[in-house]
Amino acid sequence: MAGEKKYKAPNKATVAEMRALFIDPVPDERKVDEALKHLKYLVEKYRPLMLAMESCTKCGHCAENCHTYLGTRDPNNIPTNRADLFRKAWKAAYTLEGKLFGKLVGAEPLSLDTIEKMYSYFYQCNECRRCAMVCPFGIDTCEVTFAGRQLLHWLGMVPKLQAQVGAAMYRTGNHTGLPKPGLVDTCEFLEEEMLEETGVEIKIPIDKPNSDVLYIPSSADFLLNPNTMMGAAKFFHYLGVNWTMSSEIAEAGNFGLLFDQRYTMRHNIMRLLNEAVKLGVKKIVWGECGHGWRTGKMYVPSMADRPIPVPIVHLHDEVSYYIRTGQLKLNPEVNSNPTTLHDPCNFVRACNMADTLREVITAVTTDFREMTPNRERNFCCGGGSAILYDEPEMYDLRIKFSAKKAEQVRATGVGEHGEGYLVAPCSICKAQLYPMVEEHQLGVEVKGLIDLVGTALYPPIKKND
Amino acid sequence: MEYLVLQILPYISVTIFVVGVMYRLGKWASARIVHNIVLTPAPPTLGGAAVNYAAEVALFRSLFKGDKSLWAGAWIMHFALLNIIGGHIVGFAFLGEQFKFIGTSAELSKEMSNLLGTTFGIVIWVALLYLLYRRFAINEVKLVSAPADYLHLLLLLGIVTCGNLMRLIPEYGVHYETAQTYFIQLATFQPVHLEHINFIFVLHLLLVQILMIVFPFSKLMHLFGMFAERWIINRPYVEPAPGLPGVKVSASSSTTTVTAGGKTTAGGV
Repeated sequence: MAGEKKYKAPNKATVAEMRALFIDPVPDERKVDEALKHLKYLVEKYRPLMLAMESCTKCGHCAENCHTYLGTRDPNNIPTNRADLFRKAWKAAYTLEGKLFGKLVGAEPLSLDTIEKMYSYFYQCNECRRCAMVCPFGIDTCEVTFAGRQLLHWLGMVPKLQAQVGAAMYRTGNHTGLPKPGLVDTCEFLEEEMLEETGVEIKIPIDKPNSDVLYIPSSADFLLNPNTMMGAAKFFHYLGVNWTMSSEIAEAGNFGLLFDQRYTMRHNIMRLLNEAVKLGVKKIVWGECGHGWRTGKMYVPSMADRPIPVPIVHLHDEVSYYIRTGQLKLNPEVNSNPTTLHDPCNFVRACNMADTLREVITAVTTDFREMTPNRERNFCCGGGSAILYDEPEMYDLRIKFSAKKAEQVRATGVGEHGEGYLVAPCSICKAQLYPMVEEHQLGVEVKGLIDLVGTALYPPIKKND
Repeated sequence: MEYLVLQILPYISVTIFVVGVMYRLGKWASARIVHNIVLTPAPPTLGGAAVNYAAEVALFRSLFKGDKSLWAGAWIMHFALLNIIGGHIVGFAFLGEQFKFIGTSAELSKEMSNLLGTTFGIVIWVALLYLLYRRFAINEVKLVSAPADYLHLLLLLGIVTCGNLMRLIPEYGVHYETAQTYFIQLATFQPVHLEHINFIFVLHLLLVQILMIVFPFSKLMHLFGMFAERWIINRPYVEPAPGLPGVKVSASSSTTTVTAGGKTTAGGV
């Protein structure tokens, strides 16, 4: 297993790391048989997957619409060819035409090599669903990637990053593995920060009993994107909302969506619903996290083991509502830098948020410029589905995947004088774009959207310097 | 040979087509739509979703937005194909006099029927040639093509070429009456008469039957896949009601009041 590496791929989780996810890795000699069993199970269970297997006409329209193909020109990164990793094996093993005609109809028996290839290319897919949008039939190759990663997970093949995050979530209730004292400390620090910046005493409560609203932040907002955390706190404070976060589920993300849509996803969802009941909140508000919000909005109804106790909404849907009804006094002139918006794929193509984001950003900035293409036609940042690997060859791929994004940002001209804002209201987008704007020298600073709402609500006090 | 293709094979090929398609659709139906994977922006009403659905199915809207030349080739091909299949049905049923129902004379109707048939026959032939050219000429399309993808196009081209030869070269022509008689004999399980029938006609029918046999076991199932997949991703979605519990209306001139309690309207599918 170790040593020879034919395909570019992130390092795999060790046996111990897989066992922390309650999976015993399947030894090589049994992998093909096991994989074929899982393949049949998955294809026969999920209709979108079966339709992807059986009704693609290979028109090739998806190729030029996938940023991973555009960035690498690797034929296996053409969405329909990525799906072929699955389709060929499905045809060869389980269809009449595949058994009779083999290669002629594009069938190829599954091999250990193909499984390694799946591991490489299903983890080069950003699950952005741009191919689903452009496909004339609406075939969603993201569903194939989902199923592919599920199969690989059951075989015990998960990237270290995903496996470690999954285990940290199980242990601590957030992806960074921060225990409660760490969360509380960070929040106190951010409270002081806000007091110094705005002169207003704004709280960031954790596990506060008798709260009305449970806010689900991305755990990256505690350390990596503190302005996003402070922005949300300012918004709630401004409206006088009785809100809290929970140390049990201080995580908007749900990596179950990305590698295990069964146990891992369900476990995280039930953790959320349990906590909502324990704290007695009336509404759950989700923070800036793309795949997490897709899970929260679209997968909670189908995965929850009991009726959903309270409404679950997104922070920006609330912000835009209060902007629309004129209840926020905003000072957009504090955000006067040229600003462009990166539409997170999950927000615009899976969660109906294209208008919402625009309502908010136009209200809190003075120089907003659209990227082209934008809204649901936007390209992924290249980090989608958390393929944020740091191994040199994987990092190099991430730079290539973000080439289309860099081109888009440059075309807006926001970074011409090195003072542009690139607003990306999604934790994974931010984690990808922080290094990418440097790699591509875009002259922009990556921001969250609620960050700008925060500054527009509470303009910083001028320091005499 | 003629006896086999015209008398025996049709029963076999129609059976395989019907049973095969039903088997495939049955398998699709037994797989479930587990999660809500609607593509957004999604309209809030069923009517809005129906408009999107229709635009995709009838006009290939996604293709039009993304690639005009592929759209032109694909849409024109399918539009011509639909008309040709329809033309075969009404042409044989009414012997070319179908346009009498919209007020033409019998003569004019026959002429229109011939003109439309010939035109669509040539149009689809050109469109198919373009689609085949694309498979060879565009690198990305070549990269995704399996041998079967070329063969499907060649099969369709063969069918259309035979049809056009019958249309354009008088000695290969087959009259509506002959075809009608043939289909009636076939449908009523009588022996078919094989006079007035030429080699091209036999070849045309043979290729069509091969297409019918291949259909349920190939990507040609995309005909049904289109409707099935669109049913999954083009749906209405109703957003939950906004408004945070316990918010006091601040100094504002807004007329809208805050929805306390934040109850949702029917969220989800």
